[in-house]
Amino acid sequence: MPILAIDTATLVSSVALATVDNLLAEITLQTKKTHSELLMPHIVKLLDMAQVAKSDLKGVAVSIGPGSFTGLRIGLSTAKTLAYALQVPVVGVPTLAAMAYGCPVPGVILAPMLDAQKGNVYQALFEWHQGELKEIQPAIVTEVTAALESLSQQERPVIVMGESAVMYREKIEQIGKNLILAAPHVVIQRASSVAGLGYKLIKQGVRHDVMGLEPLYIRRSEAEVLWECRHGVAK
Amino acid sequence: MENTQQETRKPCLTLALETSCDETSAAVVADGRIVLSNIISSQIPVHQKYGGVVPEIASRKHIENVLPVIDQALKAAGVVLTDISAIGVTYGPGLVGALLVGVSVAKALSFAAGIPLVGVNHLEGHVFANFLAHPKLEPPFMALVVSGGHTSLVHVKGYNEFALLGQTRDDAAGEAFDKVARVMKLPYPGGPYIDALAAKGNPEAIAFPRALSGKNSFEFSFSGLKSAVLNYLNSAAQKQEEINTADVAASFQAAVIDVLVSKSLQAAAVSGVGQIVLAGGVAANSGLKAKLGYECQQAGISFYYPDPILCTDNAAMIACRAYYQHQVGDYADLHLNAKPSLKLGAREAVT
Repeated sequence: MPILAIDTATLVSSVALATVDNLLAEITLQTKKTHSELLMPHIVKLLDMAQVAKSDLKGVAVSIGPGSFTGLRIGLSTAKTLAYALQVPVVGVPTLAAMAYGCPVPGVILAPMLDAQKGNVYQALFEWHQGELKEIQPAIVTEVTAALESLSQQERPVIVMGESAVMYREKIEQIGKNLILAAPHVVIQRASSVAGLGYKLIKQGVRHDVMGLEPLYIRRSEAEVLWECRHGVAK
Repeated sequence: MENTQQETRKPCLTLALETSCDETSAAVVADGRIVLSNIISSQIPVHQKYGGVVPEIASRKHIENVLPVIDQALKAAGVVLTDISAIGVTYGPGLVGALLVGVSVAKALSFAAGIPLVGVNHLEGHVFANFLAHPKLEPPFMALVVSGGHTSLVHVKGYNEFALLGQTRDDAAGEAFDKVARVMKLPYPGGPYIDALAAKGNPEAIAFPRALSGKNSFEFSFSGLKSAVLNYLNSAAQKQEEINTADVAASFQAAVIDVLVSKSLQAAAVSGVGQIVLAGGVAANSGLKAKLGYECQQAGISFYYPDPILCTDNAAMIACRAYYQHQVGDYADLHLNAKPSLKLGAREAVT
């Protein structure tokens, strides 16, 4: 019995069906079409092609961010509602960790980066140690050039992933040194990785409340930040 | 025999979601007219300190609230998902990020439960709130839709046939209320405070302009009026003159109401309909209800308006609209997208 996995954190739209040890199906598109229109039709097609009935789903894993606020909300609204209506569990999977999970290379630092606008990125650092994914640095918002310069000071090779790695390809090549741009099939989010890490989290006993699960925004809304600046509130 | 059959017939239940602005709402309505539940989670306190709705914060609140609100709506109605015949959802007009939460949830619900999906126009929903408040009301009628984002006159010819006679060229009536209230340092949203203050003032104290009041012109404009009120307040402040805030509120409100009422009556006369219904958030304004009610009575026209709870954004009105679309098979498919500038009466290609 498979779970459904969803990643809509960026312009990539990816949905997958996977059992604990087998990837049944995955649709991953980078066509810049809106998630709002296409996500549900993709899920329907995926189930249809894999000949899996919706009633056979035993859970839903969803990429919870950081990433595009609207993209995350479309993914989470869909995932939570499917879990609620089909009465199956939902598990929220951190987006950057799922990306690193899809690139199991020991001896290197994995640096997924997603656009946080105005020259900033959401970034976390990971490594594989004895077959386990370890987080070296939790997700932060950081200025992209400074982040890349800092990574180039590391002794180990660094695999840079995510939409911002593609966006700043020239900068990465210019710095050179230990920085490696991930290959196209690894550089983007894949729902199959969300499913894989989702199973791992479930095995570790992680359970999320379908009613309360929210995106991992990292950032507050601009209006909140501005209001606090104006009113001198330190938070 | 037929009677018995009717009594045992199961009612047609519509479940609807409304997330177009700052209220997260879900409702269950029976046979399009009977509200079984109407759960509204308001975000007004959250947005108050910003003096208006912050779209990103509204979207964040919607995703927090939407499933609990749906669950409560089903439980309060004493039904389960499998009892529902159609799922309605507001897909426009409104804030795009806010609409997307409702649309995404409704599509997933429709697919998971195998229930047809109906995309509902928020403004048509406001008009249909009157069918919930007045079980005997039937088209045709003239509808005046007034809210924070809209001011429109609509000839409702049938349950699924509308003709837009005119709308605002600039600010909506409710928007003018909010802006004037903000300058008068009244809390957000300002409409109810102006209404209360106006009741204590003289509506003829200050002659504020009535725009586009030409005969048989059904377009509105409130930005000139708004500027006139702001200029009046600013120049008084500069000259350090004391102003009577109740008179300002009353004179401003009278200018808005005069235009709304005279155009509604003209529109009804031109279209040859004997009923006028009021809809939208500003339909809760007591001054507007009183004046329009009085003028309708003078003209021999029946006048309807919804209860205050049905004037605010709520999902019961969306469920009512969805019922009548369900009756004619007007469904959306799973490609349904949010349309932030959807026009009233427009049937956007949703398939």
